[in-house]
Amino acid sequence: MPKTKLAGMEIEIDEDGFIQEPDKWSKEVAEDLAKEESSVHPMSEDHWRLVNYIRDYYIKFGVAPPVRMLCKQNKFELKYVYEMFPKGPAAGACKVAGLPKPTGCV
Amino acid sequence: MTEKITVQDLGKPCEQLIDIKAGSLMALPYPYDGANDHSTIAQLKEEQKKRYEASLDGVLAIGIPKPASPAEEKALVAKFLSGLSKLLDKNDNWTFLQPLKFSLEYCARCQTCNEACPIFVSSGRQEIYRPTYRAEVLRQIVDKYLHGQSKFSRWFLGNNVELNWTTISRLAELSYRCTICRRCAQTCPVGIDNGLITHELRKLFSQELGIAARELHEVGTMQHLKVGSSTGMKPSAFMDIKKFMEEEIEEKTGRKIEIPVDKKGADILLIHNAGEYLSWPENPAAFAIIFDAAGLNWTLSSELVGYDGVNYGVWYDDVQFSRIAIKHAQIAKELKVNKIVVGECGHAHKALIVIADRVLTGDLNIPRESCMPLLEEIVFSGKLKLDPMRNNFPVTLHDPCNMVRLMGIVSPQRRILREIAPQFREMTPHGVENYCCGGGSGFAIMQSMNFPSWRSVISGRMKLKQVVDAFQDVISPDVKKFVCAPCSNCKGQFRDLLNYYDVGAKCGINYTGLVDLIVNAMVDLKQPYLEVD
Repeated sequence: MPKTKLAGMEIEIDEDGFIQEPDKWSKEVAEDLAKEESSVHPMSEDHWRLVNYIRDYYIKFGVAPPVRMLCKQNKFELKYVYEMFPKGPAAGACKVAGLPKPTGCV
Repeated sequence: MTEKITVQDLGKPCEQLIDIKAGSLMALPYPYDGANDHSTIAQLKEEQKKRYEASLDGVLAIGIPKPASPAEEKALVAKFLSGLSKLLDKNDNWTFLQPLKFSLEYCARCQTCNEACPIFVSSGRQEIYRPTYRAEVLRQIVDKYLHGQSKFSRWFLGNNVELNWTTISRLAELSYRCTICRRCAQTCPVGIDNGLITHELRKLFSQELGIAARELHEVGTMQHLKVGSSTGMKPSAFMDIKKFMEEEIEEKTGRKIEIPVDKKGADILLIHNAGEYLSWPENPAAFAIIFDAAGLNWTLSSELVGYDGVNYGVWYDDVQFSRIAIKHAQIAKELKVNKIVVGECGHAHKALIVIADRVLTGDLNIPRESCMPLLEEIVFSGKLKLDPMRNNFPVTLHDPCNMVRLMGIVSPQRRILREIAPQFREMTPHGVENYCCGGGSGFAIMQSMNFPSWRSVISGRMKLKQVVDAFQDVISPDVKKFVCAPCSNCKGQFRDLLNYYDVGAKCGINYTGLVDLIVNAMVDLKQPYLEVD
């Protein structure tokens, strides 16, 4: 498994850059992931709102929320989500939120 | 012209057996007929090439870690050979032995199937993607190493295969360069099924060597059985999303519908691909609107596995396949429903309605049907008030391979579209002769390293061409139009394909399911049901 340096720590990541050691996730790790993966620096209030929403949903339900739900509950247009995270909700926002890579027919 | 790659070449170590050049691919129609800017497969990172067996074509679908020693390689080759003899034994391969043996023994090498294969043609006719190539490799291994073919026969018949780790590891990757669309089998004068050979190879690798695409096995069937869904969705998440769909339905239609869950004694257990709930919740919501309006007695299940109709086992592993199929049937039995209806998911049709017949016996053999004839019945029953002018935009239909070629479900979806979409047009070819979306056999969910790039450039190329061709007369992005793809897996592939080629901005083409279009035509909706991305 490849490793990378985030927030001054060595963290295991998968081949597509999703962190494999969820315990090591922190706000600093998220900022570094956003910078590396989406050239976002620093994360704005809306970035954090989205990331926290995804993370809370994941902790509660074991899966990232439907994109539609995520937009509706946060009153974000899908277009705006892509503006914030150009790689999209999965490869962008979920990665920054420290989730594993989405699986299944999603 | 490069030299023709032989079966023997598969076992000769080199950095990369083929290197696909952008200029050699099948040409695309306007507006993709210019430069080859969408035709380059992403390169792997150097360290990925070092870690994994990538010497087939520089693409990684499985990503087999390189064995640590020659002894380990030898052990894997031995496992392959013992697994291969099991594959040809009636005690170990009770599912597909007969068609496998038939396909190995009776191929006349006429090559009629070649031009039917979208991957072979799209790739600029790469020898290793020829549908008969991987079959021939397997056939030669069987003849030489299991049947003890004499040296003279081997010389006479041109059997030059070498069984070594290079052959085996490349063959494993090569079993993930075919979407098992089975156009080859359809066109073959004697019915040789090279798609089945792909399936049997994947099965051998998974069941005997523990080699399978991670998305299909580890986080696919394993996760499905353990957590309840290959998406990782737990029952609590399913219930949360159900509530969300009910809110959405009320907002869009003004109707308060309670989506029935775990309703004992319902007539129908409807099973969707769980990807719908997460990526396209408007699709299961549309089913709920239609079934409610038609007055059906139906239910969903919130049991583990019961809310996810996928069965990735059908693509690579009979054991995993059976575990999931049995679970689906048990849930239906406990709910005492009269039948299972499978939603818009092609491979779930194949798995639960067709192949499961091999494992479901006695009272587990519950009637299992496609949603398509039922939807047709509802649309023509007059129970829904539909105004086709609400769908007055160009629509074409993508046929999921498992519905048309495998099961012959061709006319219901067309009768519906002709009724509700005045600008419906067919793509060419269609129906049982359709082309795969390029995401079949699990490809659409295999999202790691450079495989998505190969999928967009090679395996989805023919479909892109068909869709763009179907809309040539209205190709301007100002005209909004839809590909109707009644299959979650195909929709995932369309999303990626349309995104990769920037089709929305360049041609104004979107994708949707079938029930979404039906609900969009309902006259009492205040606003359109379909949304354009």
